[in-house]
Amino acid sequence: MDVLSGLAHGFAVAFEPANLMWCLVGCFLGTVVGILPGLGPAATIAMLLPMTYGMSPTAGIIMLTGIYYGAKYGGSTTSILLNMPGESSSVVTCIDGYQMARKGRAGAALGIAAIASFIAGSFGIVALSLMAPPIAEFALSFSSPEYFALMALGLALVVLLAGDSLVKGLIALLLGLWLTSIGTDLFTSQSRFTFGQSSLLSGLDFMVVAIGVFALSEVLNSIADKEETQLLPVPKGMRNLLPSWEELKACRFAFVNGSVVGFIIGILPGAGASIASFISYGIERAFSRHPEKFGTGVPEGVAAPEGANNADTGGALIPLLTLGIPGGGTTAILLSALVLWGVKPGPLMMQESPDVFWGLVASLYIGNVMLLILNLPMVPLFAQILRIPVYILHPLILGVSVIGAYSVAGRIFDVVMLAGFGALGYAMSRLKFPVAPLVLGFVLGDAMERALRQSLMMSQGELGILFSRPISAVMLACAVAVLFLPLLPRFRALKVAAG
Amino acid sequence: MNRRNLLTTLVSLTAALAAAPSAQAEFKPTRPLELVVHSGPGGGNDVMGRALIAAIEEAKLSPVRIQISNKVGGGGATAASYIADKKGDPNVIGIFTSVWITNPLVQQEASVTMRDLTPISLMVLEPALVAVRADSPYKSMAELMDAAKANPGKMKQSGGSPLARDALVRTVLQAKTGGRWAFISFPSGGERISALLGGHVDMMVIEPQEAGELMRSGKLRALAQVADARLPEFKEIPTLKEAGFDVPNPPQPRGVVGPPGMAPDVLAYYVDLIARAGKSAGWQKFLREGLLEEKLLAPKETAEFLAATETQMRGILSESGVKLVR
Repeated sequence: MDVLSGLAHGFAVAFEPANLMWCLVGCFLGTVVGILPGLGPAATIAMLLPMTYGMSPTAGIIMLTGIYYGAKYGGSTTSILLNMPGESSSVVTCIDGYQMARKGRAGAALGIAAIASFIAGSFGIVALSLMAPPIAEFALSFSSPEYFALMALGLALVVLLAGDSLVKGLIALLLGLWLTSIGTDLFTSQSRFTFGQSSLLSGLDFMVVAIGVFALSEVLNSIADKEETQLLPVPKGMRNLLPSWEELKACRFAFVNGSVVGFIIGILPGAGASIASFISYGIERAFSRHPEKFGTGVPEGVAAPEGANNADTGGALIPLLTLGIPGGGTTAILLSALVLWGVKPGPLMMQESPDVFWGLVASLYIGNVMLLILNLPMVPLFAQILRIPVYILHPLILGVSVIGAYSVAGRIFDVVMLAGFGALGYAMSRLKFPVAPLVLGFVLGDAMERALRQSLMMSQGELGILFSRPISAVMLACAVAVLFLPLLPRFRALKVAAG
Repeated sequence: MNRRNLLTTLVSLTAALAAAPSAQAEFKPTRPLELVVHSGPGGGNDVMGRALIAAIEEAKLSPVRIQISNKVGGGGATAASYIADKKGDPNVIGIFTSVWITNPLVQQEASVTMRDLTPISLMVLEPALVAVRADSPYKSMAELMDAAKANPGKMKQSGGSPLARDALVRTVLQAKTGGRWAFISFPSGGERISALLGGHVDMMVIEPQEAGELMRSGKLRALAQVADARLPEFKEIPTLKEAGFDVPNPPQPRGVVGPPGMAPDVLAYYVDLIARAGKSAGWQKFLREGLLEEKLLAPKETAEFLAATETQMRGILSESGVKLVR
């Protein structure tokens, strides 16, 4: 079956009324789960799995996958409105999204997030339908040295995020790198920095750290600044609640960047949507004409990461469907669901279960449109949340944060950690330390350390392995270029002064 | 396990039940039960727990609802200490796996051992395969081991933590053959298989369910089974022993455990529940789809199995250079 007849067959399957309904149910549930911090798509799918035993495999996978990508749409909402990431891949959206909301552009940010998600998500799906098998082969050529180079490039981009003071940014970054090393070392099973606490054996949870340093510290800041009655301005009139033409035009490159970067990182089993969103944000900033404005509420700072985490979906489904290899926690549950229904994802799935394969792919197109229709009209409504007076909103944010942190693993320990990170984030912002490098270091550091140690084990300790492989060498060169790019104007200034 | 073994196990279970003092008041739960697992939703133990609950509900074996409770962290330490704290609570049980045995051996913080808890029943053993890429030059286990011996330290195996079964298989094979090769840890199964398929490592100890489709489509080749007897699905693949490597097979067990000092009537209730669930259609389907080996054991035999496994793990771990703390 070639691609076009496969897709035609898939749309016939996906447009069956029952499948359409399950697609809508999945997308809607996903959006809700995405909005709620803590409760992620993986937990939701695992909880709903027994309910799908009686459904046909096609309807079941269409609904569960809907939850998976619907959550990525919804995750940006609380990031933008409350500085509280709803989902791990929406953490970076807090940086510029919340600042846009502070400037009265909350509706615009929400609209841009939905549009970027739609464009990049569709790009990922088209790429998935057209060239899944060859791309899966390409993904396999990536190994630990390439992952290390990718993370190094990500960290180099992070240094650019440092804001006014490079030293303060680097200190925040190092703190993030240290925090991520807490827990059990994968290679030796020895515990690091656990201080005898068994609760620390599995390390700190990313969502707990992110909610603490972003949302909780924002509440503390607001209290300290004696902000009263209304937190943020909400403009009146429908027109002011949607993105303006200028804002959309500013995002042109971000839509492309998010699509391509998100998709490519998505196909790599060792990376994931959070890393995709950070790297896409970093690239956007590195190539921007006004990098200094990032972090103050630029629309491209929302469009790039939100696009990337949705393009990631199409990418992540490729190794899952064509090789039976899940890249992350959520795709691992989708895999076990398929196996439970008797569908066997792998190189033979396209031929042996064309209904499930093409039906799912076609449902992604439909679901993406559904999500855009679901989300855009909600924008003005969601923006009204900010009209809630501070004395109600703040306790609400605190409550949702606590529930979110608790629901990560069902431990009070995480709530205590949340309070700690809230205090840390508050102290950092009072002392003018940027928190973004800390969070980015936390996400990238773990994967980077692992990739480096794996590479060195592969080469028996030879560092050359990092530079002798073409893809990794090119990425490392880019990382070096990125690091020295900001110094160029200074060199020029020096020359002019000297000449 | 074949049907006759299952039958004998069930007979012995029933006998154990019949032998229990009948004067005691019978326990019957009135509140929802809590089934503790150490992995997050979607992890191995979580999937097994949910399948067990689904099978019990489908066959209407429990008068009350059973809820899964994910106590994630510390490779089982959080869940084990949670159950240990529930002493005297008849409504809490949990699912153990091999890390519940190995972790306390190497981590000071993981202070609850299997001896502190009440074993209820071993349920499954997960088999494994030694696999290479389909275009690998090694056609048999002997060729692979000879190559490892001829190039000490050059070959690579992708796997999980150094405490996991795949690492232990390497240790016993290295001790037997004198060959040496690198063990490279990856956090997820997906990354391990990608490393093998991409040709970045030479071999992997893989679960049959992960490998099945890749073998059928001609991407992977299995050289041996890490099992005492050939699995029905892989009749043509020799066990390690049949391939000429008579090594102990490190087991990957999963079963049900309760809080410390469980009252006899409560224990009897759960033994009966698990025995019935084990026979249910839903559970049998789960075993078939997952290519798992059924191994239902009574509490006493489960405790003996756990003790024997701990001794075996202790030996293998210290041989592979891991520092033991208990």
